[in-house]
Amino acid sequence: MKKINWSKYSKPIILVAFVIALSILRPKAFLSLDNFSNVLWSVAVIGIMVSGTIFVFLIGGIDLSIATLCALSAVVVVSVTNMLGGGVGAVLLGVLAALVTGALAGAIHGLIITKFNIPAFLVTFATQSIFLGLAMVLTNNKIVSCTAPAFTAIGAFKILGFPLPVYFMAIIALASWAVLRKTVFGRYVYAVGGNPVASEISGINVRGASIMCYVVSGLTTALGGVVLASMTQQASAATGAGYTNDVITAGVIGGVSLLGGEGTLPGAIFGAVLMGLLNNGLNLMSVPSTHAGLVKGLVIVVAVAFDAMNHADQSKKKVKKFKKTKDTAKESA
Amino acid sequence: MAGQTILEAKNIYKSFSGVPVLQDVHFEVKAGEVHALMGENGAGKSTLIKIITGVYSKDEGQIYWEGQPVEINTYQDCQKLGVACIYQELSVIPPLTVAQNVFLGREPRKGKIIDYKKMNEMTQELIDKYQFPLKPTTVVENLGIGQRQLIEILKGLSQNSKLLIMDEPTASLSGKEAEMLFKIIQTLRSEGVSIIYISHRLEEVYMLSDRLTILRDGKNAAVLEKDEIIPAKVIETMIGKVVDESAGSKKMLHSDENAEVRLDVRNLTDKTDRYRNISFQVHRGEILGLGGLIGAGRTEVVRAIFGVDKAESGEVYLDGEKLECYPKASIKNGIGFVPEDRRNQGFIPLLSTTRNVALTNYDIVEKKGRAISDASELEMSKRAIEAIDIRPNDPDKQVGVMSGGNQQKVVLGKWLMRDLKLLIVDEPTAGIDVGAKDEIYGILEDLAKQGVAVIVVTSDLQELLRVSHRILVMRKGDIVKEFKNVEVTQSMVLAAGQGVEEEA
Repeated sequence: MKKINWSKYSKPIILVAFVIALSILRPKAFLSLDNFSNVLWSVAVIGIMVSGTIFVFLIGGIDLSIATLCALSAVVVVSVTNMLGGGVGAVLLGVLAALVTGALAGAIHGLIITKFNIPAFLVTFATQSIFLGLAMVLTNNKIVSCTAPAFTAIGAFKILGFPLPVYFMAIIALASWAVLRKTVFGRYVYAVGGNPVASEISGINVRGASIMCYVVSGLTTALGGVVLASMTQQASAATGAGYTNDVITAGVIGGVSLLGGEGTLPGAIFGAVLMGLLNNGLNLMSVPSTHAGLVKGLVIVVAVAFDAMNHADQSKKKVKKFKKTKDTAKESA
Repeated sequence: MAGQTILEAKNIYKSFSGVPVLQDVHFEVKAGEVHALMGENGAGKSTLIKIITGVYSKDEGQIYWEGQPVEINTYQDCQKLGVACIYQELSVIPPLTVAQNVFLGREPRKGKIIDYKKMNEMTQELIDKYQFPLKPTTVVENLGIGQRQLIEILKGLSQNSKLLIMDEPTASLSGKEAEMLFKIIQTLRSEGVSIIYISHRLEEVYMLSDRLTILRDGKNAAVLEKDEIIPAKVIETMIGKVVDESAGSKKMLHSDENAEVRLDVRNLTDKTDRYRNISFQVHRGEILGLGGLIGAGRTEVVRAIFGVDKAESGEVYLDGEKLECYPKASIKNGIGFVPEDRRNQGFIPLLSTTRNVALTNYDIVEKKGRAISDASELEMSKRAIEAIDIRPNDPDKQVGVMSGGNQQKVVLGKWLMRDLKLLIVDEPTAGIDVGAKDEIYGILEDLAKQGVAVIVVTSDLQELLRVSHRILVMRKGDIVKEFKNVEVTQSMVLAAGQGVEEEA
């Protein structure tokens, strides 16, 4: 009897099940065109961010400062745009300033982590507080808003019915996939995450590659902040709150190992889509925000446990298969 | 001396998903004997041990303990009977003292409070009884691997274990530490403790064991009594080939003095004085053996040549060009390096054979723009698999789940895909079965024939004599002896490494 390998299809099955459940529970709200846009926006922001943060996950690092770096970049883009008068040029410079902020933050993470050999979670735990502080100082802890059309277009402008952020996500995800799957740097990222010592001996500049990964993560986080600010037409120290969890969860649900060396971009994007749907679902089911965290936490636990179970299963199969091949090799010898 | 049968495993069958791993295996240990268990990798040794210690369940068969049938379903079951397993990966806790480790989880108490005085006394008693070179109050952090292993043994003994299982106990020990362990094993035996001794190092097995069970392809191949344990016979039984008995005990070295110098090392000196003023040359097509005890500075010297660590001073020349020593430059210059600690330094366990083989070779893998050609990468990996018979021969196989010998072939394979001038291998066959060892020697010899200079660092004397064209012996950071174009024996090399002058 042929056994179907369900674990291979677990991701699409979960997605379809989720969509069906929401369609049944909230048919009118969920299946409306407006809501479809909402989901896309939510997915796009997480998708943009996880496309870069996956590099950090793959080398076995973590970034706990995603939410506050997001806030800082949002504040920077809004402040600069406003300062320069809100024209197209001002917006471009504002976005550039935000991206530089993100890249710089990433570079600092990478430098400190590799130079002093401090665990990534400690360094980014510290910087998240610094970024939050900077965002507060820059805004006097108030909300700054920007309704310049050139700015709001980033989040709201639609091409063929899809909002611009969806295209951003598509482009960045594609680029990230290509780098990870096709380039030497991508190969090195997996090697460094799998065994940094062996990578060093294999002639890889482990430190340089690690710093690069943090820079990429900083860049996409900043872009996420820009998109969020544009969508909400404002920025404050609270922009992006909760996104650290959402992005890490998207990665983990998508099968990216936080221990490094394992995971793919399509997996992470799947995680982003699921997180977007989950956020939307919680909203539609009118789960109060006080309870949303609880539900998301449970989802993480279930997803991780499910993944671990699959993993244990597969490694067992691998061992068995290996023994088999070894044995047949012997027989034929 | 040999007493009653203490453990007997009868008619043991075990298969994994229909593939038999053990078939009708008998295994019997008597009280107070050292019983060696041998066989090539995959012969079923570790499966058998895991069944005895309750890690795996058996499909068929019965285990008897002191004549009574017993069921062992967990490691705790076997501990209760009096079996202790000394693992390769040690489970001692560094910040605690020797006594605290020995009685971990079973601390003697006064009321609710741990009675440290009594704990230390109890540990001292054990130490005295078996003459261990340990003190109860020493913090484990300050001890070497050899002594840590003794703590594991003490732990077993403190639970009145009658049978100790030692799996490759000398794998990470220096010569002196191993000597100490051998003495302890003798003492334990005279105290009536039985030992199952698993090792790839044949000479240890000859020296220590009272009896020897050999497994081959999951079946009993032989049980040999002490006077039947003859090296050639053992190897023959294990691998089913006839081996020249004198091979490995002595050898006529033949290095070609006239060959061009490939590597020229001048006055290499370490920052922390682990080696000093090291100068030597390696010629085209020469295999230079670097012998000496563990800790003599051999590994540190070759790491400095490849550039994993920086030397404080000194120069390295390859084909007359002065080298900058760091891994990326060394690879570009045609140097390959197979590190000592395969699992931690040699390969990326999660990645496939293809990705591991290609890792150092992306400069020669074809690319379209910046995109790697998957076909070219795969072709390279297939070439490596073909060239040195890596098994399983699936290029997508995760290297982490392969056997030690094949993992080492993957590590070696990636260098074979390049134009090498110099290959450095450090303990190339540690923990690898006899068959795979021979294959690896063959690879090194082929490379030498092609003009590559090869440096082999090894603590295995038999191996050193087997592969070297010339031998340098290091001791305490200095090169103390060179053997070239002479007949050399294992004991001559050993004597030089230990600083004992021996009449040739």
